[in-house]
Amino acid sequence: MAEPDTIQATSVAQPRPPLIDVEGLTKRYGALVAVDNVFMRVAEGEVRAVIGPNGAGKTTLFHLVTGVVPTTSGTVRFDGETITGLPAHSICQRGLSRTFQLTSLFPEMTARENTMLAAQARHPRHWLPFGGGSVFEHARAAGDTALEQLGLTHVANRPAGLLSHGDQRLLEVAMAMAQEPKVLLLDEPTQGLSVEETAEAVDTLARFLERARVTVLLVEHDMEVVFRLAHKITVLHRGAVIADGSPEAVKADARVQEAYLGGME
Amino acid sequence: MRVTSLLGPLALALLLAAPFGLPIFAMTLLTELVILGLFAMSLDLMVGYTRLVSFGHAAAYGLGAYASGYILLNSALPLPFAVLAAAILTGMIAIGVGWVCTLATGVSFSMLTLAFAQLLYAVSFKWTSVTGGSDGLAGIPRNPGPLGLEVLSTKNGFYYFALACLVGSFFLCRALVRSPFGAVLRGIRENEAKTLALGYNTRLYKITVVAIAYALGGLAGALYSPFAGFANTELLFWLVSGQVLIMVIVGGSGTLIGPILGATFFLTLEHQLSSYTEAWALFFGLTFIAFVLFAPEGIWGLAKRYLGQRAPEETEQAPAAITKAEAKPHG
Amino acid sequence: MSTLAFLLNQSVNALSQAALLFFLGVGLTLIFGIMRIVNFAHGTLYMLGAFVGYSAVRITGSYWGALVAAPLVVGLLGTAFEFGILRRLYRRDAHAFLMVTFGLALVTGEAVRLIWGSEALQVPAPALLSGVVFLLDEPFPVYRLFLAAAGAVMAFAIWQLLERTRLGLLIRATSQNAEMVHALGTDVNMIRSAVFGIGCGLAALGGVLAAPLVTASHGMAASAVIDAFVIVIIGGMGSFLGSLIGALLVAFVQVFGNYYYPDFALAFMYLLMLLVLVVRPGGLLGKEA
Repeated sequence: MAEPDTIQATSVAQPRPPLIDVEGLTKRYGALVAVDNVFMRVAEGEVRAVIGPNGAGKTTLFHLVTGVVPTTSGTVRFDGETITGLPAHSICQRGLSRTFQLTSLFPEMTARENTMLAAQARHPRHWLPFGGGSVFEHARAAGDTALEQLGLTHVANRPAGLLSHGDQRLLEVAMAMAQEPKVLLLDEPTQGLSVEETAEAVDTLARFLERARVTVLLVEHDMEVVFRLAHKITVLHRGAVIADGSPEAVKADARVQEAYLGGME
Repeated sequence: MRVTSLLGPLALALLLAAPFGLPIFAMTLLTELVILGLFAMSLDLMVGYTRLVSFGHAAAYGLGAYASGYILLNSALPLPFAVLAAAILTGMIAIGVGWVCTLATGVSFSMLTLAFAQLLYAVSFKWTSVTGGSDGLAGIPRNPGPLGLEVLSTKNGFYYFALACLVGSFFLCRALVRSPFGAVLRGIRENEAKTLALGYNTRLYKITVVAIAYALGGLAGALYSPFAGFANTELLFWLVSGQVLIMVIVGGSGTLIGPILGATFFLTLEHQLSSYTEAWALFFGLTFIAFVLFAPEGIWGLAKRYLGQRAPEETEQAPAAITKAEAKPHG
Repeated sequence: MSTLAFLLNQSVNALSQAALLFFLGVGLTLIFGIMRIVNFAHGTLYMLGAFVGYSAVRITGSYWGALVAAPLVVGLLGTAFEFGILRRLYRRDAHAFLMVTFGLALVTGEAVRLIWGSEALQVPAPALLSGVVFLLDEPFPVYRLFLAAAGAVMAFAIWQLLERTRLGLLIRATSQNAEMVHALGTDVNMIRSAVFGIGCGLAALGGVLAAPLVTASHGMAASAVIDAFVIVIIGGMGSFLGSLIGALLVAFVQVFGNYYYPDFALAFMYLLMLLVLVVRPGGLLGKEA
């Protein structure tokens, strides 16, 4: 079980109000408790990873935060406002952009068109039914910046469906970045990549995160990836938080090691 | 030099000159073609650009036809206004239809559109005070005006009016699909879940595109009833929905021009085959199956490939999306 | 007529109607479950069943012969269609199937018109099933009782087929995970052909059973395909039990609606479907859409 007291105690020490504030979040599927009374805070500029063995409830937690799945109880505050219960597209409009665990792109469109469509969503006249030159200009500028950040400029004109797997994963991140989000949510960004592809993608992501200074919430089960990228780590086990802190502290935590060994057998 | 960029103006010039060179019966056929072309083009907004495959587009056609027929029979409203009013009415009803049908996605969406059209078909038999029941509405006039203008009620005048509706709608649709709105439609076509995740209210977009497509389909129907002089239950029958879908696919979906060519192909084939054989629809069905199997990009797609031109606009690409499985988000 | 007798009478009507609708819906849902194909030609094959039944009665002189011949002929045609055409489309999306089966509907409809003409044809019920029996002093048509019984028997038989036989196991497994079944060394294409054939055959069985009630006519196709889809949408795409429940619901709504508000009977069916879709977008027993 999570111990909210201790977690809240560490959070109170933070100087600024958190950008994401998860309080008592719970999701039940019948008898199964997928996410169990989770408290978690993500400060601005922080790269926070949520880790845990398979079935720990990481992805469900992600879906709850992004509004893809309705919550059973608890609240999610984003930038001081409660977003629990809002539809997914409206949460996204407030500045939370996410990537999917399994690559989800527009395969027939070029990489640039993918980022443009992502960027367009942030334009106040993204629905304009005629003309739209200025909307497209904005989208193109934001899209190209994002492509550059992720090192994809050289494949900008290639259909997304024809990119390498690694580039497709990075393109997803670029699409999220093209939306100039306040928080970037990455759902297992190296899922499905080979060892070499993962190493390459993580290098690019690390370089990108260093420069971009964006707040990140990351779900990942690959420890290597997590320790490379994250400042803070929340460990989930059977839906509940069992540890929360810096990578070093989490690495040393006896319960984490037990959960991982227990969960991996 | 792009060959196809000259085809448009050339085709338009020929269509404008047609009344001066063609015999009366050919003009009748051409007017019907213009109306059917508009009907098919309107469906392409849904099928080709958004991949909302409607099996009930006859609903739009029939609604427009009955509405303009009823207005023309029961008021002195001039023809253009009656036609426009019918189209707008159809579009407004379509907001409700779109709302209901977009509760479902994919194949269920298709079946809901079909169910709605069949419901109207059944209603058209029962609501005799408005629809004339199984007799339909007959003797629909082309009311003169506005400003005492008589020319629209003549055969050639009506042809030009229909042509103006087609050309106007074409440019409207083209602006739409090239706009930011159109880019979102394309996103929905390729990967709706991702489009939603990017922050677009995809359902609202879909309802809007259904309303526009129905309004333009309604415009075509609204032109048909004063053209033929009648409106009957057959216009709402599911076969009409199927035929117009075939026109879109055979012509080339997601191209706007393609469906007009598809309508041309359909009418010509019907005209030619029916003088040889009773079973023209049999051959037509086989032709359709062959297109789905071997040339999913349609006549216009084949033509562009033959002319060695790649699609100039992203929005005008042949719907290769129809041939590829989309990436679905998960997890 | 007493209220009880009236209710009983209408219920038998509804049950016999449900039997016909079930034959339509279960084929459609089986095909969808296993192939993710929506067979638009389903209504036309139902009609074809009635016409083949008519000819079979003429040739064999027996209605029972027709009951065997119609599903067999149409089922084989369905298998051939799957083998010749659908198989080329498995890498394409659902709409390609929708369009190709629409083409099949068009072609079959025309072929029927060429072979049997445009007139509706009478298919008499056998003497054994003609006439009425008296229950609660009210006459009940034997044929309707027969239909209701046939529906119940077939529903049970199909359920047993799915639950108890190896083919049923493979069908259920394929609808869960076709790749896995394929990896375990079963020819998934064979299962698809078989299921498509069985589904078409069931539609034809419905058609030939309906023929003595409504005559074999071209009008059968359109209303049948829509009824079938409504049933499957209500019950949930791919769910066997769903198609049974959907058929029962639709039949009762049709029969009682027709009695009390004949002008709106059709609307009730669509309203029912709408209600289900709003509450459960995937259908009563379907997966959440």
